Amino acid sequence: MVTARGLVHAYGERLAVDGVDLELGPGERLALAGPNGAGKSTVLRLMATLLRAQSGSLEVLGEEIPGGARNARRGIGYLAHDPLVYLDLTARQNLELYGDLYGIDDRDRRIDELLDRVGLLGRAEDTVRTFSRGMAQRLALSRMLLHRPRLLLLDEPHASLDARGAALLDDELSTATADGRAAIIVTHEVERVARVADRLMVLRAGRVVLDEPTTGLDPMAVRRRYEEVAG
Amino acid sequence: MRGRQLMALVRKDLRLELRTRETIVAMVLFAIVMLAILQFGFGTRDDDLTRFVGGLMWVTLAFTAVLGVGRSYVAEREQRVLDGLLVSPVPRTVMLGAKAIAIFLYMTVVEIVVIPLVGIFFVKGPYWDAIGWIAIAAVLANICIALSGTLFSGLALFTRARDLILPVLFLPALVPVVIAGAGATHAVAGGPHDMSEWRGYCLFLLAYAILFALVSVATYDAVFDD
Repeated sequence: MVTARGLVHAYGERLAVDGVDLELGPGERLALAGPNGAGKSTVLRLMATLLRAQSGSLEVLGEEIPGGARNARRGIGYLAHDPLVYLDLTARQNLELYGDLYGIDDRDRRIDELLDRVGLLGRAEDTVRTFSRGMAQRLALSRMLLHRPRLLLLDEPHASLDARGAALLDDELSTATADGRAAIIVTHEVERVARVADRLMVLRAGRVVLDEPTTGLDPMAVRRRYEEVAG
Repeated sequence: MRGRQLMALVRKDLRLELRTRETIVAMVLFAIVMLAILQFGFGTRDDDLTRFVGGLMWVTLAFTAVLGVGRSYVAEREQRVLDGLLVSPVPRTVMLGAKAIAIFLYMTVVEIVVIPLVGIFFVKGPYWDAIGWIAIAAVLANICIALSGTLFSGLALFTRARDLILPVLFLPALVPVVIAGAGATHAVAGGPHDMSEWRGYCLFLLAYAILFALVSVATYDAVFDD
């Protein structure tokens, strides 16, 4: 679903991603960890086609990036630090907008289903400005899932989700393998994500310093392994 | 699919404007205040300013356009929604079209107020029978303003000093629009009704709109994706 070879991206003089190789197959869930400034979010933004690599090659959902970026975007679900919704629109209006941008046929039914799932059906006609941070992030979760993406890209999802949202996300990630969906989860909470991820990749100064399976490992053992290599 | 995406983005901008009423109200008030300042600055009600009417109107509209265009990506920027749009499969030209339609509509609302006010403030001769011709020139000028404004506001969006950069880029691009808009207005306002002159300026505006449409379509992908 994702094949990256020698990805490089710099912000001005500062090299953020320095020759990253990454392979992600259907149903795989990769935890991407590393200290602050290691290049995790930049890697995720490259996968999300929001940034363009300065060198290296990238294929997302069978499409060469940047040439096939628009086709790849149909299958990408992206959850960022910000909910990426308009504060002055209602929850429903935001999802209607994204439903139309993704060309979803059963838009209204799908919106009701997702709002119900994230516990916001009763607040569907309220503007997002009146929502708490956790509620806004639950709406972001439904925005991400609206178009049934095949590749989930999550940037520190547990940091801003409330307990209900986090449980929903973990449930979503747990069922991803069965559906053949893949996920990359950028995180600082390694032991938490180790419960739903089956691989851990650690970045340091823009380079991959660890890439190994975590299936069957105790979350604390994964944490210790992370601390050994992350420094 | 593109039509549905375009309509969704336009509907979103209009919904946000109807809810917040930030842009159009500011634009209309700014235009009225500027016309009043020009009226006081150029003379009293007894002076005949008919021969300046085109210039006075289009300078006012140009500065009002800068105000409106400057706010065209405010919601996306301040509420940090842009990544959500960019990660969706929306062609950048559709985003351009949607923003251009919104700016076109905002300018139309401003002109519905400004064009009659200009007649009241500055024109002594016959004016009201020329309003239809002025409106046609205004529609063409609005297309130029909307397309160039959307392109430059997109460019300025990714710069640190965007509030300074936008007028510096956008106002020079408006000079031909002001010249042609003022010329077309002058040709018909106050009685001369020089239709061949009016037609020439309108054709110029049409050509300028086509030029900016081509430039925008050719470059808008690069604005957002590079």
